[in-house]
Amino acid sequence: MTLRLNTDFAAGLFGLLFAAVLWFPREGMGRLSIIFPRAILVITVALSLALIVKAFTRPAAREITIEGSPRRLVIMIAILFAWWYAIDLLGFLVATAFVFFGLTWYLASVEGAVSMRRLAQWVPIIAVLIGVFYLAFTQVLNVRLPSGIWS
Amino acid sequence: MKLTATRWVGSLSLLAALGMPGIALAEYPEQPITYTIPFDPGGESDVTARFQEPHLEEILGVEVNVNHRPGGGGAVGWSEFQNSAEPTGYEMIGVNIPHIIAQPIMRENAGYETDNWKIVTFFHTTPNALIVPKDSQFKTLDDLVQYAKENPQAVTLGGSGTFSANHLGALRLEREADIDITYIPFTGTGPLPAAVQGNHVSGIFNYSMLGVQMQDNARVLAVASEERVPALPDVATFKELGYDIVGGAYRGVAVPKGTPDEIVNTLQEAFAKTNERIAEKQEPLGFVMTDITGDEVDEVMQQLKSAYQPILEEAKANQ
Amino acid sequence: MDMLLEALFSILTLEGLVTILAGVTAGLFIGALPGLTATMALAVLLPFTFTMSPLQGLMALGAVYMGAIYGGAFTAILINTPGTPSSIATTFDGYPMARQGRAYEALAAATIASVVGGIIGVTFLLLLAPPLARLAVVFGPAEMFWVALLGLTLVASLSSGSLLKGLLGGCIGMLLSTIGVSPIGGETRFIFGIPALQGGIELIVALIGLFVVPELISMAAQGRGALPASGKLEGGAGSAIMRMGRHIFGKPVNLIRSCIIGQIIAIIPGAGGNVTSLVAYNEARRFSRDPSSFGKGNVDGVIASESSNNVMVAGSMVPLLTLGIPGAPPDAIILGVLLMHGLRPGLDLFTETGVLTNGFILSMGFAAMFLLPVGLLGGRLIHRVVVKTPFYFLLPSIAMVTILGTYALRNSMTDVFIMLLLGSAGYFLRLIGIQAAPIVLGMILGVIAEKGYVQTMLTAVVDPIPWLRLVANPLSIVLACLVALSVATTLLPGWLERSGRMAKVDPDEEKPS
Repeated sequence: MTLRLNTDFAAGLFGLLFAAVLWFPREGMGRLSIIFPRAILVITVALSLALIVKAFTRPAAREITIEGSPRRLVIMIAILFAWWYAIDLLGFLVATAFVFFGLTWYLASVEGAVSMRRLAQWVPIIAVLIGVFYLAFTQVLNVRLPSGIWS
Repeated sequence: MKLTATRWVGSLSLLAALGMPGIALAEYPEQPITYTIPFDPGGESDVTARFQEPHLEEILGVEVNVNHRPGGGGAVGWSEFQNSAEPTGYEMIGVNIPHIIAQPIMRENAGYETDNWKIVTFFHTTPNALIVPKDSQFKTLDDLVQYAKENPQAVTLGGSGTFSANHLGALRLEREADIDITYIPFTGTGPLPAAVQGNHVSGIFNYSMLGVQMQDNARVLAVASEERVPALPDVATFKELGYDIVGGAYRGVAVPKGTPDEIVNTLQEAFAKTNERIAEKQEPLGFVMTDITGDEVDEVMQQLKSAYQPILEEAKANQ
Repeated sequence: MDMLLEALFSILTLEGLVTILAGVTAGLFIGALPGLTATMALAVLLPFTFTMSPLQGLMALGAVYMGAIYGGAFTAILINTPGTPSSIATTFDGYPMARQGRAYEALAAATIASVVGGIIGVTFLLLLAPPLARLAVVFGPAEMFWVALLGLTLVASLSSGSLLKGLLGGCIGMLLSTIGVSPIGGETRFIFGIPALQGGIELIVALIGLFVVPELISMAAQGRGALPASGKLEGGAGSAIMRMGRHIFGKPVNLIRSCIIGQIIAIIPGAGGNVTSLVAYNEARRFSRDPSSFGKGNVDGVIASESSNNVMVAGSMVPLLTLGIPGAPPDAIILGVLLMHGLRPGLDLFTETGVLTNGFILSMGFAAMFLLPVGLLGGRLIHRVVVKTPFYFLLPSIAMVTILGTYALRNSMTDVFIMLLLGSAGYFLRLIGIQAAPIVLGMILGVIAEKGYVQTMLTAVVDPIPWLRLVANPLSIVLACLVALSVATTLLPGWLERSGRMAKVDPDEEKPS
């Protein structure tokens, strides 16, 4: 999918917004702490303004191309955040079991409908994948993974 | 999903155990204990915990898992611990003075409070030490004080962190000797040896361990302990030299408020025994082993708080 | 010399060699997992070394360190994810090579370069430690400020396309690095009242987010795996290895230059391995006959990055063993182990306890050599797994490992959220021409620049004009000139083109990524 967008303008605008978010909480900081961020904030604003000027005088690309399906792109981002939320809620094992299986199903259906038999075949594969990494992290690396509501 | 099933069973039995505190208590400890270090791996706190781990496991008879939750000079780990740790005796966290005193005063929202937990013990201290380069013009502490009196702000002392034990030590030296020096914060102890050996600062205010480590290529002018540090027998204390400066970092361990006394006692004993066993290895490095427990903890905390509070508040006003 | 031989015999036992082999293999896999760094690998191993003799413990640690730094190259090449920060520059050309079906070539080149780099680092350490160590202490705050600026001039070459956008990316990175507790001043900055943000944005969290997540998102959008399945090897693995070997040793200038850069930067305390590979990459590009082919799959980029970061492993031991100055974060753990065994850094380490020290150093050389078989076999295995696994399994697996690795770094779900947030933002930023590399570079160097600048200003409070302290000694003046030179050599060709003959391609023209 191709969108019409002046990338210079977009980048400049992003820079300004980002600087603005950090510009306001800067009040009340000691001299030693603010010297550096303030200098960089000023440079950021200058660069952003330069990009915006350039957007109108000598623009670079005026369009951007998203390769593949934009719908899948948005859904993928949503799934990642849902995964994060689910781990906090349900603990790593349960959340990952559900999300992993669902994501695999969703991605595989890109190539066509998935039969029940294949779904059933996946269960042991996914169980092993999750199990191996779960055990490696908890037993070998001694990481205490979130257990959510089960603890 | 066999794993999930066993986990379920495990969770259920844990719930059951929590429901019957009497029974659970009688057998404490019966499951792995998590020992959180709120600093990066490799630091003094971490290395100490690694020393302790095998001994604690042997004494308590359960696994002790050291894990890290670094960030914000310890504040991230501490705030999370105070917010979410359960008073079951299976979660404990390393605590450091003066960090836990200074951060809640200096920061708008450190996320934790100095007293909102039960400190089991402070197992060692590392006194501050004033270290200068080998070829420094300052042969004694008096040389340095004299020079600083004549040249305000010209003496630069490096140290680890801002409002840390080192920084507070330097501020106390300024007060006691009535001099004006410039303290230069570095991030951690790592860069300090280079700062001394490269003459980037006039000297450093750091812990006794670095003094031991750098014996060959630097000079230790004084240490801020009550008595001389065993590993540095030839170095005088500030007190001997006429300055009432005793301080440094205290390291200990805390459990959530409301943890039953029996459990706290069990942990206290375990740490005390561990200390005896690792003293042989830690003392030569410059650590001073202690066993500050119970009411003594409150005393030490109170004493240090009243020593640091005015300094900190003055510093905050000047910011 | 006797000491060296004695040391050699003390490690050439079955037990010794098995320790090194196991260490290298373990390090390799930990390093290959994004989020698990060399520092963490060493920390996990630490308790095990307590039960070993001092030499065996140090051998194991050295081997794990060597393996972990090298392991980062695998994921960098195969899924565009630097496994450790020191392999960021490996992604620049390694991943494009893999996308062209030349993954195994890139892996072979990375392996050979790492082995050579590791051995050269050990040689430097054995022969030149005392004189090199003197270099370590001359870098004070002012010098560090210039070193950071010198690193930042890299932005110009990393921003394929628009220089303005590259610089903006660098600034964004530097600003991200200021979140949390300020290194000097101790106050919390930009935490918006959230205590968890006091810890700031960990470099590795940002690194994983900015490199992996955009790749995952675009893999999902396009319904493809990381690598083209058709990646057939020309004449098999053996021939790829031979070809790379001939390429590397046929024109060794790139390799030698990268190793020297790696050694010099390894000595500068605080710069560490994160910077070495970036600088070596930049110089390889600057001196190349065909700089425009970098970033599109030029194997020289992989060689420069991987050889320099493995020089760093032994190289950073120079200031550590002689002066007790840890050059890179993992060194702090090795210092801890040395002290624990009653070994105080200093020249005594090379005389009184010389057998132990030399044994440790030599074992790192063996570890580097073991990288060759372990790496080539392991590489073949991991390569096959990545190519053969259907993308609908591969993608969730990468996502899972990414989440696990990010969490494990600081046991923090907040970090996982930050990683996902930066990653999703990174995808869109990439679309409008702000690449991940300058942002990450800004994060690495921003901290160094800030500390250097503020510390210099503090030491200069008594001076009439404080900022003159920045150029107060010969080394800082030289470094400042280098910065100016570096800026000039990157900008000049563009200007000349524009003012002289406009015939060439407009350097501002965007390249589709």
